[in-house]
Amino acid sequence: MDKINIICVDDEREVLESVSRDLAYFADMFNIEECESAFECEELLEELDAQQEYVGVIISDHVMPEKSGVELLTEVALDHRFLGTKKLLLTGLATQADTIRAINNAKLDNFLEKVWDPQELQQTVKELLTEYIVEKGLEYEDYIEKLDPPTLYRLIKC
Amino acid sequence: MIKPYLKYILPVILPLIILLLPSDSFGIDGLTLVEQRVIAIFVMAALCWVLEPIPIYATSVLIIVFELLLISDNGLWFATNGHPEVQGTLIKQSTIMATFASPIIMLFLGGFFLAMAATKYRLDVNLARVLLRPFGSSPKYVMLGIMMITAVFSMFMSNTATTAMMLSILTPVIALFAKEDIGKVAFALSVPVAANIGGIATPIGTPPNAVALKYLVDEYSVSFAQWMVIGVPFVVVMLLVAWVLLNRLFPADTKTIHLDIEGQFLKTPKAYLVYVTFASTIILWLLGGVHGMSAYVVAMLPVAIFSMFKIITKEDLKNISWDVLWLVSGGIALGVALDKSGLASNAVNAIPFDSFHPLVLIVGASMMCLVMANFMSNTATANLILPLVAALGASMTSLIPFGGQVVLILAVTFSASLGMSLPISTPPNALAYASGHIKNTQMLKVGVILGSIGLLVTFAMLFILNKLGVVGI
Repeated sequence: MDKINIICVDDEREVLESVSRDLAYFADMFNIEECESAFECEELLEELDAQQEYVGVIISDHVMPEKSGVELLTEVALDHRFLGTKKLLLTGLATQADTIRAINNAKLDNFLEKVWDPQELQQTVKELLTEYIVEKGLEYEDYIEKLDPPTLYRLIKC
Repeated sequence: MIKPYLKYILPVILPLIILLLPSDSFGIDGLTLVEQRVIAIFVMAALCWVLEPIPIYATSVLIIVFELLLISDNGLWFATNGHPEVQGTLIKQSTIMATFASPIIMLFLGGFFLAMAATKYRLDVNLARVLLRPFGSSPKYVMLGIMMITAVFSMFMSNTATTAMMLSILTPVIALFAKEDIGKVAFALSVPVAANIGGIATPIGTPPNAVALKYLVDEYSVSFAQWMVIGVPFVVVMLLVAWVLLNRLFPADTKTIHLDIEGQFLKTPKAYLVYVTFASTIILWLLGGVHGMSAYVVAMLPVAIFSMFKIITKEDLKNISWDVLWLVSGGIALGVALDKSGLASNAVNAIPFDSFHPLVLIVGASMMCLVMANFMSNTATANLILPLVAALGASMTSLIPFGGQVVLILAVTFSASLGMSLPISTPPNALAYASGHIKNTQMLKVGVILGSIGLLVTFAMLFILNKLGVVGI
């Protein structure tokens, strides 16, 4: 079974832990990684790429010191190695300009507002992972119990 | 449960032991080296398909590569330079490689092209929308409609794609059911059940049928139309049985349901070309006797037309299920090896099968096939059992009063598609189980009942059709 990672990025430790907790549902099949800054996330991405592991979803906060979430996600969007990786911005403090940049440059797949509903976050990640796995052509049967059935039915063509 | 590492060790060790045993230890007179190697390859294939240490299509590729290395005329030096009498007949490399593009594979490729074009031009969804309309809004009849349409589609499309499409139509409907309404189970199960059964009706409905075609040749050959004459009545009976069963076991409390399928038929020139090609291909398949073209030749027409008009583009080509084609190729290659090496006839002569009652063989082989198909891929099951059964059938004269080899092969092939009692039995089962509306035990109950009834219906139907002179000798 291929290793698929879910990366959470937030500069606040408590937020990071709480996102992780809400994603515990995925923990037995997917690898959940926590990063406290955009730089840490970039390092992790290099490492995962070197190990040939998949990055399914990146969930990032926007307002962080040194490098913002939108900047990070824009870089990921332009990196051919992470083509198809789903990007979710989780923020309460994005201005309209930030949001516009997030959509135009970082090609967000989803946008959730802080404070988020754990159920909604879980469902969103479920859908994004399903899309990632089918689009990448990975063996969806291996992960089927954690995937979103309607999304799966919509995407399977053969 | 077996130890996890055994599934990697057994497929390597056992074939090696077989290769190294002296050739007189098999109890078959005059066993040649080539035949012994074929036994080893067969055992490896069986272990790999049952234990799945590698993907099932990879096993097929492995079969072909080992055949090329060990029993082809261009194989490894030590495998080809023996004394002809000890070594036996080597098989031409071109014969082995040709299994990748055998007419049966091309028939399936044609089927894939039709299915892809139909999906791309939304013929499937639009047909479903129109065909479901007459079934009204009573849950019972809507379910009948869904099952019939699923079955018809899975005759020409892959069972998995059909299931995914129908479940995506059904999902919003099932969501409206009350929480404790057990009717949800019936609806969620109706789709995979109908898809599994529907595939039986045509030669291109499901890969085990393709494997069967390999053994239905010469005087035993079955045309596209002949197959449907046997398959369609079987599917109709089984669908009705399944429908009654599902309604009995899981009656719905909801009084009315509404299926909401959006869309309209595409009216572009390309879409019309797809409709016309789709319909003509099927008509040409059914009228095989009139125009002289075999089903295999007809299958190439949609391939040519859709490529020419860019209905199937370069990108679409990449999405063809090559794994399914390769899986079937491996099965064909296994059959070729058993047959061309002479092992099949040799081994059958060595064992006194003629003392068996022919019905024991038909019933026994079908039941074994059904059980195996529940736990592993239907196609891999057919790949393993059909060559053995075909060899036995060819040698048993006592089988002739019961329709001969054709009846035996069809019974076993149908049983391979009836294995549907577990989520892992077939991809449609896995998809439906993922919906979360079905419990393991519910699927098991329905699967076991339908599998058993299915076997009985298979035997009864083949018996009647044989007596009527429609099938067999």
